[in-house]
Amino acid sequence: MVEFQPIQQRGFHNTYDENGEIDGFEFKFVPKYYKGYWFTQCRFGNVTVDGEVFDRDEIIFVYDGIEYSREEMFDLHKYWQFRTPLTYRIKKKGGLSIGYHDVSLQYGWVLNYNGALEKEFDGSGMGNMAHMFGVDNQRRMLLCK
Amino acid sequence: MSIEKGTPRRGICLYSYHNLLGKTMTLDDAFEEMADTGATCFEFLTSYIPNYPNPSPEWVDHYWRLCEKYNMQPSELGHWAENHLHRGKGMTDDEVVEELKQDFRLAHLLGFKALRTKITCTNEICDPEPGWQNYIEKALPYAEKYDVRMQNEVHLPTTLHTPHIRDEYLDFIHRTKTSHFGFNIDFGTFQYKAAKGMEDMAWLNFDDITKPEEIVDFLPYSYVCHAKFTYMNENFEEETIPYPEVIKLMVDNGWSGDLLSEYEGGIRFHAEEGPDKFAQAMVEIPDQVRRHQIMLRNILGY
Repeated sequence: MVEFQPIQQRGFHNTYDENGEIDGFEFKFVPKYYKGYWFTQCRFGNVTVDGEVFDRDEIIFVYDGIEYSREEMFDLHKYWQFRTPLTYRIKKKGGLSIGYHDVSLQYGWVLNYNGALEKEFDGSGMGNMAHMFGVDNQRRMLLCK
Repeated sequence: MSIEKGTPRRGICLYSYHNLLGKTMTLDDAFEEMADTGATCFEFLTSYIPNYPNPSPEWVDHYWRLCEKYNMQPSELGHWAENHLHRGKGMTDDEVVEELKQDFRLAHLLGFKALRTKITCTNEICDPEPGWQNYIEKALPYAEKYDVRMQNEVHLPTTLHTPHIRDEYLDFIHRTKTSHFGFNIDFGTFQYKAAKGMEDMAWLNFDDITKPEEIVDFLPYSYVCHAKFTYMNENFEEETIPYPEVIKLMVDNGWSGDLLSEYEGGIRFHAEEGPDKFAQAMVEIPDQVRRHQIMLRNILGY
């Protein structure tokens, strides 16, 4: 079972390097859409935390314990199972402070429903479903460690 | 000679509960909930198969145990004829056929005779992307082998008189003489006004809708229909879709397919916005499906 919000608070914490120093933070994301996707259909956007933007190509995506870049996702023949979280791992020296944070991200996808085909065939856009479901996700979350 | 009256089965699309699935409702819960309504069959989606497209034997066993425990029959497996899974202009016909074969095998394994097959479209009325006939025709021998019928969904704002329905899909059926391709007629195509709570959805337009009598010509090519609804009142009436009239036409014309309750109320867009909305969804979604099943029972008489 996952939380009802797409951005999950469960799993939101700072991360540590091999020396025990905080080197970033991570959280999990579960699309609110009614179905799963092949990762090749997914279009990942930037993450913003308290106004600080983390570029989509700097994010490490973790699925089934394996790390991927956004670019690697385009060639990944793997199905993002319905209601299965994808971890966003983000490098930031010192991590985030203990307390509340406003976390937002953009996420879109390519699918064959009631609309035009994807305009950006190179995958640089946010897919072709924004007209029905938007791409923005946000949540205020409490970080404890 | 009079036509023998049809006896459609009452079923439910698992999609109706999608906001709750994996959050507050397990698959076991969903089966219990569906069985409580008196429905006897269901639509599944490929996405709801854990570890799709390779479910474990243990899960398949569990699935069949649920069907047996709750006396629910598989009706339709919703899937997608995706030809844009990768960056670039599209996949080859053979690549799409491989995707389709994979889903046919799964449907067969899980007992589904019908498929809701989404074909890539290019605009809001779902004009199919040119060339769809190539991969669907290539897939027909495999549909026969696995004993499944692909059904293109006719979904609002598409109507049964939208040109591509006859000019492309019906023409394809007649040309190939196949019984493995047809239509899932979504009852939203008959919707003539906005439902309660969905008046502000600008993309809804009811200027051009399917008239009930139009369904008759398509019944021979339809095996399962989405009995779409957006709001059921406490008198068990759907106020925006002429259900009694449409179902009477189906029954009087001998249709004995499956009518699957598919709830698409406004809450589905808002359930994740906050605890109050999600709590509303937890109550409203099962309640709406139950009301819809009572309406179907009242109309069908069983």
